[in-house]
Amino acid sequence: MEITFEHVTHSYDVNSPTANLGLDDVTLKIKNGLFTAIIGQTGSGKSTLVRHINALLKPTSGTITIGDRVITSDTNNKNLKPLRKQIGMVFQFPESQLFEETVEKDIMFGPMNFGATETEAREAARTVIKLVGLDESYLTQSPFDLSGGQMRRVAIAGVLASDPETIILDEPTAGLDPVGRKEIMSLFKDLQVKGKTIILITHNMDDVANYADAMAVIHRGKLIAQGFPKEVFNNQELLKNDLITLPKSAEFAKGLMQQGFHFDKLPITIDELGTEIKHQLNGD
Amino acid sequence: MEKIISIANLNYTYPDAKQAAINDLSLDIYKNEWISIVGKNGSGKSTLTKLIDGLIEADSGTISVAGQIINEDNIWEARKKIGIIFQNPDHQFVGATVEDDVAFGLENQGMPREQMVKEIDRALELVKMSDFKKRDPQSLSGGQKQRVAIAGVLATKPQIIIMDESTSMLDPDGRKTVLNLVQQLRKEQDLTIISITHDIEETELSQRIVVLNTGKIVKDGKPVEIYDLGTDLRKYGLEEPFSSKLMSTLRDTVKLPEGYLSEEELEQQLWKLHSNM
Ligand SMILES: Nc1ncnc2c1ncn2[C@@H]1O[C@H](COP(=O)(O)OP(=O)(O)OP(=O)(O)O)[C@@H](O)[C@H]1O
Ligand SMILES: Nc1ncnc2c1ncn2[C@@H]1O[C@H](COP(=O)(O)OP(=O)(O)OP(=O)(O)O)[C@@H](O)[C@H]1O
Ligand SMILES: [Mg+2]
Ligand SMILES: [Mg+2]
Repeated sequence: MEITFEHVTHSYDVNSPTANLGLDDVTLKIKNGLFTAIIGQTGSGKSTLVRHINALLKPTSGTITIGDRVITSDTNNKNLKPLRKQIGMVFQFPESQLFEETVEKDIMFGPMNFGATETEAREAARTVIKLVGLDESYLTQSPFDLSGGQMRRVAIAGVLASDPETIILDEPTAGLDPVGRKEIMSLFKDLQVKGKTIILITHNMDDVANYADAMAVIHRGKLIAQGFPKEVFNNQELLKNDLITLPKSAEFAKGLMQQGFHFDKLPITIDELGTEIKHQLNGD
Repeated sequence: MEKIISIANLNYTYPDAKQAAINDLSLDIYKNEWISIVGKNGSGKSTLTKLIDGLIEADSGTISVAGQIINEDNIWEARKKIGIIFQNPDHQFVGATVEDDVAFGLENQGMPREQMVKEIDRALELVKMSDFKKRDPQSLSGGQKQRVAIAGVLATKPQIIIMDESTSMLDPDGRKTVLNLVQQLRKEQDLTIISITHDIEETELSQRIVVLNTGKIVKDGKPVEIYDLGTDLRKYGLEEPFSSKLMSTLRDTVKLPEGYLSEEELEQQLWKLHSNM
């Protein structure tokens, strides 16, 4: 499903003295089947943006189109279930998503809510718990008796269990140990390769460089750039104004440029950087 | 060096849990040290902080804070010295507005109203959240919540600050700013910093890294000693630093020294090779 934002503005409590625009006239297309990363500073509007996709928030003005579904300021809350079945969302704070007595019930909730039988939902729970790097023994535990990273994994499992077409991830790897982070990012990439649309909010530029096909940059509620990661991270205008941070490889390449190395474009992954360095040192 | 926290043979198992969360753990932390605690999800890091702050009681073993073994009678004294920034800031908010929230810790210290207002402003200024004073903390963005949680702890001027992944939702620049701020306060005010993190770059700021695994300390050393473990780090859920990963991709055709190099050192090596061409 293609997702488009047309002139979307979202204003949180219009009357407050700090009347803050969560989103300010955003027009954006999120392509079907791609892995799209959304980045931007703390408070820039990323979570606000994605909450419009499954209609948790309604725009103050503008329209959002998800497949054949149109959401505007007067969309009511009825009949949102089909939309929410297609669009799974892992929230920024996973605890806010967990509520059942056991991990198993928690994971089963989604599929059953969308019409799966109990047997199917139980089966789904057993499959997804392993996908997120936990063994089946966790199924009988209370989700509140878990460590921060374990809760995060259960929240992710809960969303995967419903098998949504589009998966929105709001900083899904915050709190995961580095090995777990890599495994889970690869899992999302795999799902995308198999046909899902992935939308990832992250502060980790290396994850953007390593996994995303497209990226969008939000600044004070406005969309200020979008494109291929390689292009966006080489956007001089953004760099000059400190509007983006570089992946580690690009940062390191910048240092090397001062030592006589030359890069037409800053490499953004370790593989790209390694290949370039070898090329320049060995001349092959 | 003066010990500020001394932990001896500590054990803790959660009610009904099959495995111990903390397993015969001993650790000395020195005054003015910045120590990083790292390890897999579920290795016991947050449990250890809860034990240090007396939020849960050990099954056996002792914890001393500033020379005093903590017990039910003196835990309140010890707690005044310790500020914890919890993993999930939502658990920390008690006030209806950001300023009330920061005030809470100060009221507990019995600070006069006038001074309190100044301290709140100062703390919010430090984390660049002054404009949000009147907002409900629950309505803030993820990173803004973390900043307020940090302000709440800084305002109380503790001697020991425990940060439990407290910058995980900040943008890269914001994270750097906050960590530099904490570093500066540590130096100026002789603070001790215990930082729980999954961010290998953040550990570079520390003097010592302790690796936890299934409730036990499996490594304890200077950052370079820990980074030198290379791919062995993965056993503990960790990853090699960026420079080591880059070196592994280069080694097949580029001649590099063995062992860990910092990014600066690697840059120098590559520069030398480049100028010798
Ligand atoms: N319920 C709300 N009421 C009022 N203002 C809000 C509310 N939710 C968010 N905001 C404000 O809107 C702005 C955008 O918030 P949002 O949560 O979208 O940011 P974000 O880009 O996700 O940031 P972070 O990276 O810190 O999570 C922020 O300034 C935030 O304080
Ligand atoms: N309230 C609780 N009741 C029962 N078991 C718990 C509880 N909290 C944590 N545990 C378990 O204790 C172990 C240690 O958890 P802890 O929260 O200390 O891990 P951690 O190192 O902080 O992990 P993370 O990096 O994921 O935050 C884990 O196996 C966890 O499942
Ligand atoms: Mg957010
Ligand atoms: Mg923890």
